[in-house]
Amino acid sequence: MASRLRFLLGRALIYAVLTAGGGIMAFPFYWMLATSVKSPQEAQQAEPIWVPQRMRPANWQAAMRLGAEGGNRWWGGFAPGRTVTFFVAAGGEGPRPRVRIPKPPGAFHDPRSEGTRIAVERVPGGWRFSFTNTTHRRFRLLPVVLYLPKSYRAVRPELAPDAVRSAGDYWRMEWVNLSPGLFGYVFHNYREAWHAAPFARYFYVSFVTAGTQVVVGLFLAAMAGFAFARVRFPGREPVFLLLLGTMMIPGEVLLIPNYIVLAKLGWLDTFYALIVPWLASVFGIFLLRQFYRSLPQDLFDAARIDGASYLTLLFRIALPLAVPGLVTFGIFNFLGAYNALLWPLIVTQSPEMRTVQVGLQAFIGEAGSDYGQLMAASTMAILPIVVGYFFAQRQFVEGIARSGIK
Amino acid sequence: MKRFDPYLAPAVLGFGVLGFLSAEAAGLGFGPGVTGPLAWALAALALLVAALGAYRRPGGWTLFALIAALAGLAGPARPLLALAPVLAAFLLYGGLRHRLPERGAAAFWGWVFVWPSLALILVWHVLPGLFAFYISLFNKVSFITQSRFVGLLNYRILFHDPLFWRAMSNTFWYVVFTVPTGILLGTLVAVLLNERVRGLGLFRTLYFLPYITALTAAAAVWMWIYHPEFGFLNWLLGTPGFDWLHTPDGVFALLFRPLGVRLAGFWAGPSVAFVAIMAMSVWHLLGYNVVILLAGLQSIPRQYYEAAMIDGASWWQLQRHITWPLLSPTTFFLAIIGLIGAFQVFTQVYVMTPTGGVLNDTLTLTMYLYNKGFRDSDFSYASAIAVTVFWVILFLTLLQRRVLERRVTYGE
Repeated sequence: MASRLRFLLGRALIYAVLTAGGGIMAFPFYWMLATSVKSPQEAQQAEPIWVPQRMRPANWQAAMRLGAEGGNRWWGGFAPGRTVTFFVAAGGEGPRPRVRIPKPPGAFHDPRSEGTRIAVERVPGGWRFSFTNTTHRRFRLLPVVLYLPKSYRAVRPELAPDAVRSAGDYWRMEWVNLSPGLFGYVFHNYREAWHAAPFARYFYVSFVTAGTQVVVGLFLAAMAGFAFARVRFPGREPVFLLLLGTMMIPGEVLLIPNYIVLAKLGWLDTFYALIVPWLASVFGIFLLRQFYRSLPQDLFDAARIDGASYLTLLFRIALPLAVPGLVTFGIFNFLGAYNALLWPLIVTQSPEMRTVQVGLQAFIGEAGSDYGQLMAASTMAILPIVVGYFFAQRQFVEGIARSGIK
Repeated sequence: MKRFDPYLAPAVLGFGVLGFLSAEAAGLGFGPGVTGPLAWALAALALLVAALGAYRRPGGWTLFALIAALAGLAGPARPLLALAPVLAAFLLYGGLRHRLPERGAAAFWGWVFVWPSLALILVWHVLPGLFAFYISLFNKVSFITQSRFVGLLNYRILFHDPLFWRAMSNTFWYVVFTVPTGILLGTLVAVLLNERVRGLGLFRTLYFLPYITALTAAAAVWMWIYHPEFGFLNWLLGTPGFDWLHTPDGVFALLFRPLGVRLAGFWAGPSVAFVAIMAMSVWHLLGYNVVILLAGLQSIPRQYYEAAMIDGASWWQLQRHITWPLLSPTTFFLAIIGLIGAFQVFTQVYVMTPTGGVLNDTLTLTMYLYNKGFRDSDFSYASAIAVTVFWVILFLTLLQRRVLERRVTYGE
């Protein structure tokens, strides 16, 4: 009985430690996601807000209705001729509220605020505001600032404001977008970050770079690894030792000489600079060589005696059997290429050639205090890898584990 | 056709690739440009070799030497023509395919498979390593100024450069703090996960996700957590306004201050800001250690544990006398990989403290190299840093091998 109790206590302790550790590991992700759907005012609270307004279903309904009125129930918008009506429940009596559409700071002329007709009317139980787009343009956002006298009781806007501040006798309520639509409401920060920097281009550059590195790198490593494992050619051992020796050279030694070579080739700020220096990987050759060596030699001898050429041996016999090894190296290579910051930072100058990581790094400097947008941008940057992980979880984990066994 | 050497084709191939690469390099102005009289002299030499070869051993080598001479002539002027030997090798192989002995085919295909990777690695990994040392011997190599050979002067300046020593001691503390912490925490988690827990997949995902997360994004999140006014950590610890990433006081100095001990310089330890970055780095790398260690644990035969349990060993004794020694090759591997990785730490430091922190308290070696090379455009001094770092890493790796490998128990 005592040993049973001890066993149970031990199990409980194991789970407690693992859960606590897992919580600490996962917390930054939660915090990133939570902040990415917060308004600036929510983000900048001394007391953390665990469930942001934009994650509450009550607001989703209002966001959807307002979005449908403005243009589209999913992505909102403020289309020409549309009228968005907004209701604020307010009990008691008081002066008339004031409402306006803020102009971008420093703008001389703002078609949105000048072309929107605003109507304010008293209805039972509160105030109704309607905004009509009299222009011929479609606006992505409908920002609204509302001054509501403090004399009203039980004030409840249909859609929770993004910021509430006290301004004399008034409450100043702000909405960054009063016709958001469901996704436009929840993913507001994502959409704004996407528009604030050319993230589409960043993703394109990153995927072209990482994809080419993976495809060509796999091809090269598959060939060289096969030669080192299964072809007895003169000079094999010295060349292999030379390759192993290059693993001793840390990457930072190569930064400057490779930069100079790229500059002389005129390749700086091009895809060549991002891709070519890292195409061949000693690690990949080594990994695949180990893999081919685990296949039986008899297989190759038999095929050779039957008159198969070395090309056939490689592409028809060795490669199909080495798929797990190829997947391992492919994942490693993609991770390395996609997550790299230092090299793309050095060899690219123009925003058109920035990878996601360099773009994000620049965005961190530009976003300033808008942590909601910054976290949204960070989430977007890690999303492809995380999604890939959930699709190929086993390959990821086994691949990493395999890389450690030599 | 017996006169044809089976190694002819690979030799021609190799010559072609090297000839092309060197001609391209000469065209870009690397090394002595082979032009004018020198080129003719080389061509004459190649022809002489060809003639000698023809006289001594009629057969395959003659052809090779002739191709060599032609390529030597063409090389400096037309780099693409130097690829002619590659074509020649393929034609030779095509013509002889059915008469070639097994060894010849292996030699040809072996080299064909290896050359693309080998050429890329030579050009982008091996030669740049040597080139880095070469440019570190010059005075201010940059694209603007003419540089002058100064020997080891850059290294002499480097050894008296306080910023370099600052970066070196910061990096040293980084290695000393993060590598053992990462391995110990990783071992703890891996051992617990190996106790046949339910929900292994979930736990593994939780611990592993930070590792595949891009460091740039992770650093952005941690900056937000460390934010002095709105950061989560300050709320959790009840220290409002504490600016984690801009506090240059050394942690040892802070720890010993209440005892009346004043520590300064190196012994003050890494700054609070740098320790904050280290915590983030351990968080990031832990998943890798856990996965590798878990694989190592699963390769330990269960019979050892069963035998020891029959003998009445406690859980702690099992870990101490079976797990730890049998896991040591994995731990050793992680220590070496961790050391090499930690010495090159850049991304999270650059994102979280772009200027190297207050009073350079988070300046690392790679960051100093980056600043010198790409901000100040002093390539030779930056190369001197790189070469020094290379020797330090090499020395530490070998030292680690000597010190730790004696304690490593390899199975079987």
